[in-house]
Amino acid sequence: MRKSESCGAGDLVAGVRSKRAAARRRQRPPAPQSAVGLVVGLLAFVAVAVAAEEVAGPAWFQDVTKTAGVNARHSNRVFENPYARIMEGYTALGASANVADYDGDGYDDVYVTDSKLGGKNHLYHNNHNFTFTDVGEQAGVANSNDENDAVADALWFDFNNDGKPDLFVVRFGRDQLFQNMGNGKFKDVSKQAGIDSYRNSITAIAFDYDRDGKLDLFVGSYFQSIDIFHPDTPRLFPESFETANNGGGVTVYHNNGNGTFTDVTERVGLGTRDEAGKFHKLSGWTLDLGHADADNDGWDDLYVACDFGTDHFFRNNGNGTFSDMTEKAIGIDSKKGMNVDWGDFDNDGLLDIYVTNITDDYMREGNFLWHNNGNLTFADVSRETGTSETGWGWGAKFFDYDNDGWLDLYVTNGWVSAGKDSYVPDVFKMVTTPNIDFADARSWPPMGNKSLSGYEKKKLFHNEKGQIFKDEAKRHGVDSIRDGRGVAIADFDNDGRLDMFVANANGEPYLYRNTEPTGNHWVQFALEGTKSNKTAVGAQVRLTANGMTRLQFISGGNSFAGQSSNRVHFGLGDVAKVDQIEVRWPAGEKEVFSVPAVDKIQKIVEGSGKRK
Amino acid sequence: MSYRRIILFATVLTALTGSVIAEDGNALYEKAAKAMASKDYNTAIPLLQQAVQADPDNLRNASELRQAVLRQTIAAHPKEGSTADFDKDIAFFEQVTKAHPMSANAFLNFGFAYVDKIAAAGSITQVILANTALTQFTKSIELKPTWIAYYTRGNSYLYWPKIFGRAQMGVDDLEKAYAIQKMEPKRSYHVRVYNSLGDGYWKTDKLDRAIEIWKEGAAAFPDDPGLKARLSKKGEDLEKYINDVLDPNKRVDTDLKELWRIQ
Repeated sequence: MRKSESCGAGDLVAGVRSKRAAARRRQRPPAPQSAVGLVVGLLAFVAVAVAAEEVAGPAWFQDVTKTAGVNARHSNRVFENPYARIMEGYTALGASANVADYDGDGYDDVYVTDSKLGGKNHLYHNNHNFTFTDVGEQAGVANSNDENDAVADALWFDFNNDGKPDLFVVRFGRDQLFQNMGNGKFKDVSKQAGIDSYRNSITAIAFDYDRDGKLDLFVGSYFQSIDIFHPDTPRLFPESFETANNGGGVTVYHNNGNGTFTDVTERVGLGTRDEAGKFHKLSGWTLDLGHADADNDGWDDLYVACDFGTDHFFRNNGNGTFSDMTEKAIGIDSKKGMNVDWGDFDNDGLLDIYVTNITDDYMREGNFLWHNNGNLTFADVSRETGTSETGWGWGAKFFDYDNDGWLDLYVTNGWVSAGKDSYVPDVFKMVTTPNIDFADARSWPPMGNKSLSGYEKKKLFHNEKGQIFKDEAKRHGVDSIRDGRGVAIADFDNDGRLDMFVANANGEPYLYRNTEPTGNHWVQFALEGTKSNKTAVGAQVRLTANGMTRLQFISGGNSFAGQSSNRVHFGLGDVAKVDQIEVRWPAGEKEVFSVPAVDKIQKIVEGSGKRK
Repeated sequence: MSYRRIILFATVLTALTGSVIAEDGNALYEKAAKAMASKDYNTAIPLLQQAVQADPDNLRNASELRQAVLRQTIAAHPKEGSTADFDKDIAFFEQVTKAHPMSANAFLNFGFAYVDKIAAAGSITQVILANTALTQFTKSIELKPTWIAYYTRGNSYLYWPKIFGRAQMGVDDLEKAYAIQKMEPKRSYHVRVYNSLGDGYWKTDKLDRAIEIWKEGAAAFPDDPGLKARLSKKGEDLEKYINDVLDPNKRVDTDLKELWRIQ
């Protein structure tokens, strides 16, 4: 373990940055309690916002990618098979950024993936001074791109509950599980863990769905379980643009607590049963998974975002099974679900969901901002809040970049930015060909050097008090036009300002250092479970200050190709005193803790608070 | 009357002046109209199908059939209805056009049946449906190059994103419709061409010509809200307005009832 140079989470103290004059904050309007309320509130708010004077200023995010030493480029996998020129469009993927403090030194590190054959993944160790050292090779987690496997994503999760984050590498082909040995080294335990079946995975999250104290694994697959590197059939593409059911679906692995996992997809009911009672796994083209407790019943529910077809919402029944509530909860959609992130954007005590889709001149789907109605139904308020149109959407994350107490949103986008010619007419020529077989790769025109929804500007949506979002990406220097895939949020220098790591396909990433000058207060909590899983994934934290209660939770890897810090961060605005926090641990118990000071990182251990 | 309608009312003129409604078709329509009034679509739809089969060039019967199908499916499946229900309607008109390959208005309604399904479909299927509708509109023009057929197809082209380069084809059709209407006595629906042709010019980066045709339209139809709106906007406001008018995600109103009122 590296020596902590200054203050780690374990010290209960973190870098308290010098405070500028307390920011002048307007009185916050009461948060709407329903989608209808939101829209009504919006009308009133817009008038105020329009009247408000625009305040420009220097960008708050600094691009420190090069100086931090994290500028290694991602390269897409190039396939060498009869359909390679077709597949290159489908597989412009695999750039991901995943944050964890793997060595427990109190500073978040980041694992960044590559996808080209022989391409190295990078484990960037945080040097505590906003520089990083790539220790991927010596740690044993650099080499995951071989002739039969291409990296698509990664996930930190403490599968053996020893408090040290382990690493799951998500691959087209077979996944890998690396055990964190605690000495800066990782050991490949994929086979013995029983999670290395051929799956063409693209995303993974981990949470304790059955509250047995161990993190279970949910893996989403894009292609079916066929060898996409050496396919023996040309029929490996989606059969439909809107209702495709020939994708890879979702696999659920129960953590047995002894270093092994069991596929329990059927047992937990993550699929459908036909009239004869036969179980069918989900078969959509899964792109992302997101978990959270939608109805505050203590059991985490699941959202499945699918390309080329219907997203799904599963309610956790609290008995080790899930029920498909899609139609009632969100309705049947035919869009291109790309990202799932949960967050309480309107501070009403219920976690909402942000899903990116595709919105361009030729395909106007619009995103979903699912406002949680509190009864396991959701209303899409993306248009009303200004978060609907973000191009060809990818990873997106809720986070409070200006510490004003409201969750903002960063959205990556862009598919392929190449030559000046567009691939769109080629695709639509194919689409309008009578009786075309979309599943057959030979039906598709080669993409060549053409672009498709390329050079799109990223969005940094500032949350205007839960009513509407305003794009501030340009102002803050984060409106890049690279083909973004994933975003990870962390406070890499422990200064209370949340930084961003953005992974781009076929390009260099961005590390944006947050330098926001408002002087707004903040507080972070590093939670440790005892009865619950040790990294406290799934814990909900309700912070009460100045008469308001806000909700945050610890996610097990939500959002596409990006995993944020598992510290809980609250922006406090000009409020310098926190009344209390209430933690609802993943195991179900609630405890109240005092917060002695703000602008610090506070460690919270399960069982040490006042039980409710 | 919405300007977003792709529909060409004038077709009715053709229907009512150019073809004689068959006795039995008319009787069937009357019975269907009573059923429609009581929202008894299960009774109305088969009657209207029979009326269309009896007189395939009659736009009133065909339009009312499509409206019955639309209302029934939306009642059963809120929002935009069931794609399967629209598919049945499409299949019916396909059958009619096969049985009556010289019926221009049957092909026009066949195209409208595809348009009716668009709002219920996903974004890619929308393209396929819109493209197929264009094929039917083209067949209708080949059989009878009327004002309404040119207006319908021309306006449909304008809904396509710029990248497909179809706006100029829309302008070509709308100019033909414009030429036809200039030779006719003034009719209320002619205002549609002024609006759409201007939109086509705007979409092909000929703003001056767009303003010119909108002004000409405003002189003939000074109370038209669409022309007033277009002429009062500039730059991004105008772009937003036209994009909203031509938003393919919004249901196009294909109800031709106002044509009967015109008559």
